[in-house]
Amino acid sequence: MTQTPEFKGTHLFDRLCWAKENLEGVQSDYRVVYEDSIDECAKILVPDPNWMACALQGGILPPVWVYHELAKDEAQPDFKKHTRGYLLHTTEPMPAMTEEQAIEYLIMKDVPQHVWQEWNTGNKPKMVICRKEQLPSTREWRNAWKITEDLTATDIAA
Amino acid sequence: MAGKIIADTLEHSTAGSLDTQYVVNGSAKAWVNFNGTGTIAIRDSLSVSGLVDNNTGNYTVNYSSSMDNDDYSSTVSANASSGLFGTLQSEASMTTTATNISCYNGSISPADHAVVCLHTLGDLA
Repeated sequence: MTQTPEFKGTHLFDRLCWAKENLEGVQSDYRVVYEDSIDECAKILVPDPNWMACALQGGILPPVWVYHELAKDEAQPDFKKHTRGYLLHTTEPMPAMTEEQAIEYLIMKDVPQHVWQEWNTGNKPKMVICRKEQLPSTREWRNAWKITEDLTATDIAA
Repeated sequence: MAGKIIADTLEHSTAGSLDTQYVVNGSAKAWVNFNGTGTIAIRDSLSVSGLVDNNTGNYTVNYSSSMDNDDYSSTVSANASSGLFGTLQSEASMTTTATNISCYNGSISPADHAVVCLHTLGDLA
């Protein structure tokens, strides 16, 4: 297995370039289906193969809380540009993750917080992790896709 | 990392010189090529953590390395299947960590495309 160099303090983009050159992409079968708004159809999050390779390798990606801190800064009304971008580069990188841990990380990074923090507090789950083959194979009626009403948290846990 | 050259200028023997800032500023900070049809799939990328399939012809590209501000430049291109004329719009919803894109057919209706590419230039955080 390729050894990850000591990357703490290295610009995140340089780490990603190293990974692109040295790691084989990993196509995950996992997909995250979530409902961001009741007025919109279900959305599907697809992990990037090169990103997944970084997550499985370890020592490359920053902790997810770094992205949350930057998002807080960006949400300020007077935001012009990031002043704490150094957090991406100087924070101790994450150790190697399993594919399942990587999906959890990706949910917290790329799915809106109000969805993953309250995914099961309404009448039905707002978010489901599934396999690619469980999604409809055609795009017919894509604009109307919803998470099934019959799904319960027990089904998801199983 | 092994091998590091620090230089402000690159000089060709006859063709003149180039400030390395042009190279840094002119390089894509993120790019992706994906199949936007069926269960969408990423073919290859750099500095992208994932895609969100929002709706027919509408996708969000999430970045691994955040941009410095939301005034960066993104270019989107798409290759439609036979019989469709591919046009494309980049919506205003750009954050430092994601860009939302829309693809259309010749009738200016949202449509999925077999090859969708995005590359982003600007300053990194």
